[in-house]
Amino acid sequence: MIGLLGTLNMAAQSLQTQMTGVQVTGQNLANVGTTGYARQTVDIQSTPDIATSIGPEGSGADATSIQQVVSSFLNSQVQSQQSVSGYWSSQQTALQTAQTNLDEFLSGTAGASGSSTDTSSTGLSAQMSGLFSSFSSLAASPTSASAQQAVVSQAQNLASTFNQVDSSLSSLKDSLNSSLTTDVGSANELLSNIASLNGEINSAEFSGGTANELLDTREQDLENLSKLTDIQTTTGTGSAVNVTIGGQTLVSGSQVLDSLQTYDAGSGQMLVQTATSGTALTLTGGSIQGTIDARDGTLATLQSGVNQLASTLITQVNAAQDAGYSATGTSGTTFFTGTDASDIGVNSTLAGNPSLIQTSGTATAGGDNSVALQLANLASASQTTLGNQTFSDSYDQTVAGLGDALQTANDQVSNQTAVTTMLQTQQNDLSGVNVDEEMTNLMGFQRAYEASAQLVTTLNTMMGDTLTMKTA
Amino acid sequence: MRVATNSYSAAMLNQFNTLVSQQDNLQSEVSSGLSVQAPADNPGAMETTLDDLAGQAAQTQYNTNITTLQTRATSVYNAMDSLQKLTSNIESIATSASSGTTSQATLTNDATTVQQAIQQALELANAQDSAGSYLFGGTASTSPPFTATTDASGNITGVTYSGNSSVNKVPVSATASVSIDVPGANTTGTGTPGLITDTQSGADLFNHLLALQTDLAAGNQTAVVADAAELQKDDSNLISQIATNGAVQTRLTNAATFATTQATGLATMIANASSTDLVQTMVQLNQAQTSYQAALQSSAKIMQLSLLNYLPT
Repeated sequence: MIGLLGTLNMAAQSLQTQMTGVQVTGQNLANVGTTGYARQTVDIQSTPDIATSIGPEGSGADATSIQQVVSSFLNSQVQSQQSVSGYWSSQQTALQTAQTNLDEFLSGTAGASGSSTDTSSTGLSAQMSGLFSSFSSLAASPTSASAQQAVVSQAQNLASTFNQVDSSLSSLKDSLNSSLTTDVGSANELLSNIASLNGEINSAEFSGGTANELLDTREQDLENLSKLTDIQTTTGTGSAVNVTIGGQTLVSGSQVLDSLQTYDAGSGQMLVQTATSGTALTLTGGSIQGTIDARDGTLATLQSGVNQLASTLITQVNAAQDAGYSATGTSGTTFFTGTDASDIGVNSTLAGNPSLIQTSGTATAGGDNSVALQLANLASASQTTLGNQTFSDSYDQTVAGLGDALQTANDQVSNQTAVTTMLQTQQNDLSGVNVDEEMTNLMGFQRAYEASAQLVTTLNTMMGDTLTMKTA
Repeated sequence: MRVATNSYSAAMLNQFNTLVSQQDNLQSEVSSGLSVQAPADNPGAMETTLDDLAGQAAQTQYNTNITTLQTRATSVYNAMDSLQKLTSNIESIATSASSGTTSQATLTNDATTVQQAIQQALELANAQDSAGSYLFGGTASTSPPFTATTDASGNITGVTYSGNSSVNKVPVSATASVSIDVPGANTTGTGTPGLITDTQSGADLFNHLLALQTDLAAGNQTAVVADAAELQKDDSNLISQIATNGAVQTRLTNAATFATTQATGLATMIANASSTDLVQTMVQLNQAQTSYQAALQSSAKIMQLSLLNYLPT
């Protein structure tokens, strides 16, 4: 039998226990909006019974631990989906920028029926149509100064647009390389943080404490790392998590075994390898690989397509032009300068004197339009170097290729957002704080505390009665 | 089912973003009339629309070419018509002079009239279009195709042709090209007949006029009879050329109609591929707006619900 003093101790212990419950509830309420916070619960267990002559007698309750409510399965699922989301998000961003850089949009104004009445396109498509139209006008009036000037102006516009598109796509490629370097730096920082947190968590738990907040922070770091690259995690010593990327274990316990770095695989094509061992990594997810795939896939195809288009245009127009004569019988004035989209331009001599355009097939007939006709007919001529397509068809297909890739990225991002949101909701519903629940818990702990306090009061009275009885 | 308190706000935020994005896209469709504006909106429709826009630009250009040709054809017709009337008039003079009863003084006056006609014919043969291109020089249209030699009195004694017998063809559709030009002379026996000199028809207007002038001045009425017969060939050639010009102009009108029809068809195809269905889009916009309002209202209600509201203070 534990007696009055034993019961008083039990009441005092109960006050401590309920106070711990109130503290944990307060911690949960304080973090109701904290991202990555996992709610905590206090584990209250009955203290061991005391054997008495009439049987085991309870000795109260004690708070034995404060636990996080988490699901490692959900956490790993969220990490995995974050990696896929990161991959497609980076692709989407890169391709959206490319779409903007290409500047191939339809515009119009809604008419009375709601349909566009004046649909037009911007960018290279309209510029190419403009050039071929001006060639056709020149064929109709080969000696017309205004037709000659129109050809030069249209060609300058087209060349300028080619230059602009190529420059924008090259800048985008540079930006993606910079983004890779930044992402790799962020990944290294996160790897370092995770290793440090592994050490701190183990230290805290080794001394008998809890490291719930550190676990939350590490989980957030793992999720953030997953957005950058696909990771595999395994349980290490104690509560440590080992991290493997691309088959290379980079974090083991509190040690960072290796880190990531970018390297130039040639022609400014930045890829990722381990910094110390120099092992090239093959990644399958995360924004780093998404950026690499966007740069080396769709964007490379797009830039190559635009360059091939410009190169073929230069070759074909110059070939026709070089065989002709101007209205005054002169020859030898090349139309386009340059070799591709980056440097295509209109010959400055021609730009300064459009009458030098060589539209005639013979030096003695200035009004002959045979060369102008050849130039105009290029619009509908299939080009071997463009896969036996016309200039327009080839370019339109290139634009559609970009559109397909971006549409896929958009769809994937949308799908991944839905999946990730669903998993995060599940994760949050399990680990997140519910204010109503916490307030209910608080009331429970408060009432239990009041009851224990009342027990102390009662015992005090009883002890007083006992003492009074003795002195009486 | 347990729901964390901040799940509400996260879910609401997602719903708001989705609904606002939907409304933004639909509003853009309504204002532009286009359901496809960027390649990623509908890559297939974008490719088709760009193809059709290029086709439409080509049809517009064909119409521009046709207008250019029609303008030039009118200039050519006017010059040829004047030449034909001039030739017909001189032919009448020659016929009248060859009656055998005409006095020498009249014949001399007729010779003077013919000399003036030669001057006028030369001007007509060297006519230019609005762009300064000579109408009857063949493809050598940058300089006057006919050059006269004159005597001390300034009278034309001979006319030489420095143009060629080639003509330009101009595309008026994807598969058809039209030539409206007439070379001043064609002595090859093939190709487009020459306006002034043509081997096939026997026309040689300037030489025939010069011969008539000489024969009238000399009072050689027998020769004038032969000259009148030669001028008949010139007149016939000109009438034939005018008829051809009319036929080509009709062809141009038909080509213009065809190009316009093609452009209209392409516009319809563009509208089908990229234009928005206003009724459907407006219904979707209304639905999105209603959903947004409902989301806002329900969110406001849910956010107000808390046990804290019912606990005694």
